[in-house]
Amino acid sequence: MPRLPLPARWIFFALALAPFATAAFEVKLTDAKGQPIADAVVSLVPLDPPAVSPSNPPTKLTPPAAPLIVMQRGQEFIPYVTPIVVGSRVSFPNKDTEQHQCYSLSPAKKFTLPLYAGEDKAPIVFDQPGVVALGCNIHDWMVAYIVVLETPWFALSTTAGTATLADAPPGRYRLEIWHPRLAKTDTRELTLSSATSAPLAIALTLKPDRRIRRSTEKSGGGYK
Amino acid sequence: MRFRSFRAQLLALILTLTGGAQLVAFLLIARVHRADAHREIDRQLTEASRRFLKNVEQRNTDLAGRTEALSFDTGLRETLAATTTDRDTLTSVMANVRGRVGASLAALLSLEGKLLAETRDGPSAENIYRPLQLQADASESPNPRATSYGFIDGTLYSLTIVPLRAPDIVAWIAIGFPLDRAFLDELHDSTGVESLLRHGPTVLATTATPPGELISRPQILPTTGSAPATLELRYSLDEKLAPAQRLENVLLVVGAGSLLLAALIGAGFARRLTRPVQQLAAHTAVIARGDYATTITLDRTDELGRLAESFNRMSAGLAERDRVRDLLDKNVSPEVAAQLMRDGATLGGEEREVTILFADLRGFTTLSEQLPPRELLTLLNRYLDRMSAAIEEQGGVIDKFIGDAIMALFGAPVAQSDAPSRALAAALAMERALVAFNAELATEGRAPLGIGIGINTARIVAGNIGSHRRLNYSVIGDGVNVAARIESLTRTPEYRTSIIATAATMAASQVGPVSDRPSEKAVRTFRPLGTVPVKGRAEPVEIFAVDG
Repeated sequence: MPRLPLPARWIFFALALAPFATAAFEVKLTDAKGQPIADAVVSLVPLDPPAVSPSNPPTKLTPPAAPLIVMQRGQEFIPYVTPIVVGSRVSFPNKDTEQHQCYSLSPAKKFTLPLYAGEDKAPIVFDQPGVVALGCNIHDWMVAYIVVLETPWFALSTTAGTATLADAPPGRYRLEIWHPRLAKTDTRELTLSSATSAPLAIALTLKPDRRIRRSTEKSGGGYK
Repeated sequence: MRFRSFRAQLLALILTLTGGAQLVAFLLIARVHRADAHREIDRQLTEASRRFLKNVEQRNTDLAGRTEALSFDTGLRETLAATTTDRDTLTSVMANVRGRVGASLAALLSLEGKLLAETRDGPSAENIYRPLQLQADASESPNPRATSYGFIDGTLYSLTIVPLRAPDIVAWIAIGFPLDRAFLDELHDSTGVESLLRHGPTVLATTATPPGELISRPQILPTTGSAPATLELRYSLDEKLAPAQRLENVLLVVGAGSLLLAALIGAGFARRLTRPVQQLAAHTAVIARGDYATTITLDRTDELGRLAESFNRMSAGLAERDRVRDLLDKNVSPEVAAQLMRDGATLGGEEREVTILFADLRGFTTLSEQLPPRELLTLLNRYLDRMSAAIEEQGGVIDKFIGDAIMALFGAPVAQSDAPSRALAAALAMERALVAFNAELATEGRAPLGIGIGINTARIVAGNIGSHRRLNYSVIGDGVNVAARIESLTRTPEYRTSIIATAATMAASQVGPVSDRPSEKAVRTFRPLGTVPVKGRAEPVEIFAVDG
């Protein structure tokens, strides 16, 4: 599982350089068949961190003030993939009439959350970087991912396969791409300048979609 | 084979046809039976092969389904997914999985294919599970699974690997069941096919070995981690042929019976056919013997019956011919009869030289006055009989009896070169015969008889004379009259002779060949009697007495 052991001080440095941010940087993802890849998490990790000194202490990323939402509706998690920064809170409201029992066995965050319809549970804080696979103990086909990142520059690819990263200052970066169907996180180095650059096209090889197919028949099995 | 009798040939033909037809039919049936048995066994083996694979697949699917269902068990999933769980716990969980799904072995593999736990002891079977895991991982299916055969602890297992989801695939669970005797027995119960499972030379499991000739079909079972195993599906040809064999046995018995029946019927038929033929053949021998009176009776209306009727008609015809011939012989001389039989009785004649002999009984008129007619006839017949014998002995032909007179011919109808000599010899023999006859008459107290014989040789016409309805073979001409005339001259006392011949006869008898009877005199004694006029004839005839 991808881990992003990124010293927080680099981020502080980078944030400090925010006035010199580059123009929006776009990545376009396609699979082996040329089809756009949606739900990929694209992030940038700076490779040249500024020197740390007592006068220039590392600082922490600031998660959003409001909790992010991964809801359960129609016996599915929505959204499918949610990238967040370390320390963010996520709440799991149940919009269905049925119960759900959301769980994670991922090392980054293990939990089990019985969710009754209409009942609000306290949001869960994701304080470790890593990918957290969410499942439901009651409905086997329900799957979602929360990708906990240690960088502020990330984006989720759209159905068109594009992800736009804004505000990153010029410099050398490691571009990281995570997707549920990638065998492992795709990484590559790149250098950003202040000049506007053309979208970066990246072709990736995806593994088969192993998600359990939900039966369309009510009386049928949950998976086949 | 050569049979001499028609009956044997007929019988052989019937048996050959019947037996041959049955043999051909039997061989065809036997061949069809064998072909059927092979085809049926082939079908069964194909079915058994299909069934075996289906059974394995079914069992694999069952186990996989149960294992997958069980993998969603919360507690089990949490325990197995946690990287911190110790090996003993994982092993006990796998044992629980094995028990719950009804597998014989269960193993847990990491995503990298590392064996985390398995329910069996002994050397690690990771090299067997690993290819399965790779195969399942490469699967495009949303439900990745893989199956194979694996050779573990001396037993062939059917193995299946399924993912453990949490909810991503975090590990793989392999389960398996053994292909043992029980599994093969089950196959036998449902298909009737025996089987044997081997791995190289080692027999892993087998059902009963069927008796007799086996038709075997190998089914290769590829394994992971070792050489493939072989399932031999087997069926006994003898067993499959048993019902056909029973039918064939019945056919053999029926065939032998019908052959026997055909032989009996054929023999009877041949007998019915050949016996009348033999009867007819025997009858021809009867006919050949001259027995025309015996008729043959075949109580049948077919060709043979008609043939028998023809035989009888032929017999009747032959009998009729003989009767005619017999009558002919009695009424005419045998030579004339033979000529008639040969040439037929037609009017007309041919001119030839013939010696004519006329004989007349002296004193017959007196005798006829003294004796009653019946006795007279008897006496006359006795006389004529002896005279005839004397004539015929010399090859003469009795032309006719005229009362007590005899007219005989020599040289007709069959030409004789020594006819005059024969006539003379006959005349002398008649004289001698009369002497003997007179001796007989003397003992009977009767008066002796006398004879007069006249002989002439002349060219005359001989042939059938008469009407179309009645005709006689005879001669006609002046020479005949001469002979009759000179016969009457024997009454002349001065001549002192009872035999008078003309000069023509004498001359011919002297130039002709010597008699073929050496005992008799070849040269006669002729005594000239001068010439006599003959009534109705211009020239007188020179005559001679024949004295010996």
